[in-house]
Amino acid sequence: MAKWGMVIDLDKCTGCQACTTACAMENNTLPGESWQDVLFYHEGEYPSAQMKWLPRPCMQCENPSCVHVCPTRATYKDESAGGVVFVDWNKCIGCKYCMIACPYGVRFYADEKPLLEPDLREIFPGGQDKQLWSPPYQSPDEDWSKGIGIQPPGVVSKCTFCHHKTSKAPAGTVDFDEDNPAVKEYVPACVRTCAPKARYFGDLDNPESQVNQLIGDKHGVRLKDHTGNKPQVYYLGAGAGVPAFQPADKGDKS
Amino acid sequence: MSNNNVKQGMAGNGLLLLSLVVFLVSLIYAFMQIGSNGHASFNTSSALPWGQPIATYLYFALASSGLGLLASLPLVFGFKQYYPVAKRCIFLAFIVLISGMAVLAMELGNVFRMLWAIPLNFQTQSAMFWMGIFYALDLLFLLWKFRKMESGEWDSKTSKQVGIASFLLVLLASGNLALIFGMMSMRPFWFDALLPIYFYFTAVTSGMAALVFFVYLSHGFRRDTMSPALQKLMTGAVPKLFAALVGGTLLFIAARAITGMYSNNPEINLVWTDYLFSSTTYHLSLWVGLLLPFIILLNSNLRNQVNMQLLASILVFLGLFSERFFFVVGGQVVPLFKGTWIPNLIQYSPSATEWSLTIMGWSLIFVLYVLGEKFFNLSAMPDNLDQDA
Repeated sequence: MAKWGMVIDLDKCTGCQACTTACAMENNTLPGESWQDVLFYHEGEYPSAQMKWLPRPCMQCENPSCVHVCPTRATYKDESAGGVVFVDWNKCIGCKYCMIACPYGVRFYADEKPLLEPDLREIFPGGQDKQLWSPPYQSPDEDWSKGIGIQPPGVVSKCTFCHHKTSKAPAGTVDFDEDNPAVKEYVPACVRTCAPKARYFGDLDNPESQVNQLIGDKHGVRLKDHTGNKPQVYYLGAGAGVPAFQPADKGDKS
Repeated sequence: MSNNNVKQGMAGNGLLLLSLVVFLVSLIYAFMQIGSNGHASFNTSSALPWGQPIATYLYFALASSGLGLLASLPLVFGFKQYYPVAKRCIFLAFIVLISGMAVLAMELGNVFRMLWAIPLNFQTQSAMFWMGIFYALDLLFLLWKFRKMESGEWDSKTSKQVGIASFLLVLLASGNLALIFGMMSMRPFWFDALLPIYFYFTAVTSGMAALVFFVYLSHGFRRDTMSPALQKLMTGAVPKLFAALVGGTLLFIAARAITGMYSNNPEINLVWTDYLFSSTTYHLSLWVGLLLPFIILLNSNLRNQVNMQLLASILVFLGLFSERFFFVVGGQVVPLFKGTWIPNLIQYSPSATEWSLTIMGWSLIFVLYVLGEKFFNLSAMPDNLDQDA
């Protein structure tokens, strides 16, 4: 059985946010509900300050703490879907415990104050379809049992590794390479759109897969591995770590 | 005793009316806001998902557990001098928990779904699943114990067994509530194996504050209207235990603050230095809400005065409410993995809707309490006790 994994090469990533935009369009997310975004950090002080950035999807952890804490099994790890962590919007009670338990901050409760004005939910209000909002264009793939589509109010949403695309790939697909015409339609939106080709997607359970070879050859690491969550997302290259938090107004005295 | 009980007279009606009006106004306001704007009417966000309604629930749930533990002093451990407050403790524990649950219900995204989704999915790995089980059973056993007392069964075998079961459930419920926070290793400010002990102790402190306040409220803020046994208790064991509890609470907070500030980990250290100790409200809650009542209660002359006991109870009430707020929010203020999108600590102050839920919870306690005074004899105790006193 496949275990879907993502590899992000930080030496190639330019921080352009095309992945963030593609994800938002593919999944009809609201501003701020960034299932995938690129975080920017700075470390050190002038003249040796560095700027770093880090694309961050859901890590689809092998041992996901969000799944353990969910009191209704609304969030679950689906091994038959490559180990993707889904939220069943029919079961989620909106307690937000999974958002507390996720070490990566990649879960969203869109029923909150809008990030930007005007509020898109007021422009495209949810109607009888019970959606939180109803934009004119919507992905035709909707499956609330997996948290795909536009959510109802009061539930948690997250990245699904574009399960609605990957699940349609021919059986036995190992590498989801956007340059391969046979599989490009099934590649997750963030991977397909990545201009510098910093993202790779494939089967972590197959030793021959491109993702496994990259992890092996270039020493892929997982973020915050000390949490024991064991992400299925690996990072390559320099800077695959997050600087310790420091308030911006304090400056770096190190 | 019941004849002296002012809550059964005009004053009781006035208080009932007032608290009912406050309750209904806050409930209707919250309903309208949540109905029209959803949870966008809260100031919580995906970066800081748990706000004041959760802190309010936590405060009430723990105050209820504290009252349950206080009731176990006479009912389980045989400290007979506490019998005069046992029934009131059990009743208060029940209504305070009901109020907490009402606030929590308004906070959840899909509250009615919870009723079937939690029991049917049986997710035993989740501390929140156990919270539902333990607090539901806690509520049931409090009610059962109250029924036993109501029928005058203080010392029967069943009554004692129910009392012991209720005591154990209180321990399980509040201990498990602590673990909801304490097991979160990705939230280092909360992560603490001994958090259940901290919660037990501070729960009893908040329970004691509630007890002292409501005992006086029931007796028109006078001691001479109390039964001799109750008078003896309120000038003896209660203020002494209250002092010890507030002192112990301060010790707990000091231990957490010292280890937190010593730590290099910014997710703990910065919470203390840049959030808690840089907040005037937190300083007020610590020094005026806890240290001042502790000093008052330490003085043997002051601690026996009605006004001072009342003052201490109100200050501790508010001080610990604030503690719960800063505990819940403090675990989330350091941005988790957000980089320059959130360059500083996450700002949070409750919205009007969130305040209305807190006020709703407080007023519901008063409504239910006055009703309890009207329909039950909350001062009841075993018959032979007054003669002993």
